[in-house]
Amino acid sequence: MRTVIGFRLRLALFFVGMLATVQLITGALVYGVTRRALIVDGERQLVANAKAFDAQMDDVSARIAGNVRVMALDFALRQAIAEGDRGTVLSVLHNHGRRVGASRMQLINLDGTIAVDTADVHADGKSFPFSELIQRAFYERAAEMAAVQGRVYWIVVVPIYAPQPVGLVVVYVQVDDELLAHMQELSTLRRDVALEVQLAPVQWQAVAFGDRSAPFARGLEHVTGDFPSQPSLRRIAQSDYIVLAQPLRHPYNSAPVVILFGYSLDDALRPYHNLALAWSALLALGLAAGLLGAWVIARNVSRPVEWLATVAKRIEQGDYRVPPRLHRRDEIGALANAIGTMAAGVQQREERIFHQATHDAVTGLPNRTAIEADITRDMDSGVTQGSLLMIGLTRVPDIIKTMGHGLCDRLMHDAGERIQHMADGAQVARATDSNFVTWLPNTSRDEAVQAAIRILEELATPYTEPDVSIDMVPAIGIAVYPEHATQAVALLRYAETAQFAAVGSSKAWAFYQASIDPHRPEQLSLMGELREALTRGQLELFYQPKLTLPTRRLDSAEALVRWQHPVRGAISPDVFIGMAEDTGNIQRLTRWVLETAIAQVSQWRVQGLQLRVAVNLSAHDLGDADLPQYIVDLAALHRLPHEQLTLEITERAVIGEFDAVSRVLQQLGEEGFHIAIDDFGVGQSSLSYLHKFPIDELKIDQSFIKHLNDDSDDRIIVRSIVELSHDLGYHVTAEGVEDEGTLDYLASIGCDHAQGYFVARPMNADSLAHLITTQPKSSHA
Amino acid sequence: MKRWGSRLPCLFVWGIAVAAHAGSLTIKTIDNRGHPVSDAVVTIDRANSPTTASTHYIDQKSETFIPYVEVMHPGDSVVFRNSDNTRHHVYSFSPIGAFQFILSPGESSSPVVLNRTGIIALGCNIHDHMIAYLVVTTDQAQVTTQQGQARFDDLPAGHYTVKVWHPQLWPGHPLASSDVDVPPEGAAPELPFTLRLMPDPRSVVDREHLDY
Repeated sequence: MRTVIGFRLRLALFFVGMLATVQLITGALVYGVTRRALIVDGERQLVANAKAFDAQMDDVSARIAGNVRVMALDFALRQAIAEGDRGTVLSVLHNHGRRVGASRMQLINLDGTIAVDTADVHADGKSFPFSELIQRAFYERAAEMAAVQGRVYWIVVVPIYAPQPVGLVVVYVQVDDELLAHMQELSTLRRDVALEVQLAPVQWQAVAFGDRSAPFARGLEHVTGDFPSQPSLRRIAQSDYIVLAQPLRHPYNSAPVVILFGYSLDDALRPYHNLALAWSALLALGLAAGLLGAWVIARNVSRPVEWLATVAKRIEQGDYRVPPRLHRRDEIGALANAIGTMAAGVQQREERIFHQATHDAVTGLPNRTAIEADITRDMDSGVTQGSLLMIGLTRVPDIIKTMGHGLCDRLMHDAGERIQHMADGAQVARATDSNFVTWLPNTSRDEAVQAAIRILEELATPYTEPDVSIDMVPAIGIAVYPEHATQAVALLRYAETAQFAAVGSSKAWAFYQASIDPHRPEQLSLMGELREALTRGQLELFYQPKLTLPTRRLDSAEALVRWQHPVRGAISPDVFIGMAEDTGNIQRLTRWVLETAIAQVSQWRVQGLQLRVAVNLSAHDLGDADLPQYIVDLAALHRLPHEQLTLEITERAVIGEFDAVSRVLQQLGEEGFHIAIDDFGVGQSSLSYLHKFPIDELKIDQSFIKHLNDDSDDRIIVRSIVELSHDLGYHVTAEGVEDEGTLDYLASIGCDHAQGYFVARPMNADSLAHLITTQPKSSHA
Repeated sequence: MKRWGSRLPCLFVWGIAVAAHAGSLTIKTIDNRGHPVSDAVVTIDRANSPTTASTHYIDQKSETFIPYVEVMHPGDSVVFRNSDNTRHHVYSFSPIGAFQFILSPGESSSPVVLNRTGIIALGCNIHDHMIAYLVVTTDQAQVTTQQGQARFDDLPAGHYTVKVWHPQLWPGHPLASSDVDVPPEGAAPELPFTLRLMPDPRSVVDREHLDY
């Protein structure tokens, strides 16, 4: 906001400053021009004044001369002069002196001596000091300014003829304040005028002023320096004057006299003071008006700009309410409208992006992210319990492969609608390609199951298109909040895990069970630790002896891996082997087991124990083409006869990649290793299928053996397997033998080997060695 | 001009007559600018041969004294004659002959006998520009012509002092003088005099120009 105010202020200040600057410059220019004009005018006036003064003094001279001439016309005076009648001449001079305004009159003889002087009765015979005027008087008007005894006189010399020149009359007119005032009355002589006499070089004294009270006079009483002969600007008595000094003709014997003309610039400017005052007022008024106007204009500009900034900020924060339009036709109005349109556009686009981000394009249902957010919101808003149903269509991958994405998308769309229909208003979302998810807040486990069954029933109807009818084969996993998880992400994952479990089960739905969850987070760290265990020797091989029924001797064993975790204690192989298979660590584990087992058997062999040891191979191991050579190398290393090593594989393992498995088994078989099928009976293989592999032994799954005492069906199955296997040339081992009856029965039907707790629990190598060496030579006849 | 018309032929006649046994002397007067100066009175230090007293007439015509300069000898008399149609008031304040006559048109004054040497300035109290001079001297004297020349003929050879006076000479200055030897036969070299003159007091025009 500060910057906006700054903008407004700057704009206003700019306008006003501009105005003031222009005004001041104009004022300064006008003042300068006026002053200059006045100076020029003053200079011109002074030059004119100087000329006028000369002319005036000339007039004075002419008047005086005329008077003297008239005086000299008087016959009696001529006679008196010619006859040297001093008394008469003196009286006449007095008389005429008064007439012409002279303060002193003299009669000068032609030889330059003073004949009569009205101011000095004893002047007779003295020399007239300004003799050069005498000669000039005969040719021209001789009048000059002379300083006499501290006063200045305008001296006019007029020759007297009677009839020839007989003498000259000298008229002294004192130039004083009075005369100057008189001249001012008669003419345009300035008030600022001063008559200065030079007392010494650069020392001047004033003898007369036009106006003694003026500052001009005060500043010029005594002057040191020279006077300007051209009009010049001088500072006199704190005032600006244009000064022009006019030197006056003076006799040789007189001190120089100048008349100074002054032109007061201040006085000349005085009429303009009112003008300046009026102009200043106008400027102030203009500034005020300009300030106001600038403020108003700036406000008109900045207000909408501020408002637009606010709107933009609101849009930035996600508030897209389109602000009321500015009813302006100018650029700002256009900008405001553009921002409004932009906000609407951004809002629409954001809604679309949000919808795309939270919805599945195929089914139009919310996606996993959206339902996760919904669940989280419900949890946060106080929903105390709920169920999450993960509805998977297990055949989707196959449908895509065979029918293509287009049909699958239509199928999913149809499934989505059906689920939505059955969800009874609950939130339905598409979680993955093949999975839907339904969040049922505030439902119990039973209600969740009922909902799952309803959905399963709804989805049981095949999806049909012309010529196509497809079973969806749904499976539903249920995770319960807060029992299984308290977070939406976990709930979703658990529901998915449960959904995996439900696949293939008869109910087609399943609750999440932590025990069957291979993907719990702790498993991941376990794998890291497994790798560590392999190198640090935390793993150990236990051996479960197998009893050869005909001889009742223990002459072989199955190697079972044990993991004694330093922190977690003993970890079940069910846990970490499955994990190792899932995480790709199984091969290392298998190799470690092989290596350890072969080394052990070889050691026993050295000790004189002839034991056949079975090692379990995983389905993943059978895909490893290098495995046969590896085992061969190990056997060679430990100089172990190949027939002493049995490799057990599960029934499921051989169902997978037939070619690769077949190749590996073929190689192992050719190398002379025994190959056994583990857990026989639970898989979906048949003996005819197994017969394609070089198999030596079948191990009947313990599920058939456990109830052998009670279940006649199992007895028939086992006996049939044994017979059939013998017919095919396989040895048969029964697993899970837990009592003597079972053992006896197995012996009675000709089963070759028995394995189980009744025979012996798994034990370490030393215990096994001890057990083997201490067993009776033959427990059975 | 009339006055010269009556005098010059007789001078010439006289000069030619004495040329055979005596020398002559010519004086030339010029002003500062080299212009010939007329009406200068040239005297030589030889007494005028005694002659009978004569009467000189000063005419007043067209408000002018004619002649302007008249050389007289002691004992001579002067008569002022008014030939104008106006009155003239002739006066002189000169110590050697102070007088005044108010002359009606056509009237002549009584003769004034001048016995003392000196110069008399004549004026008219009515017409300021009317001035004339009477030079009373015992010496031989000539008035320079329009050409500024004065000639003495038939002079015995010898040493002469020549002096020149003029009405417009600056007052108080000594007269210009010069010595010259006149040969027995022929003419002495022309003797030049340069005179520094005041403005002509008769000059009405000049005076008005000066605004006096």
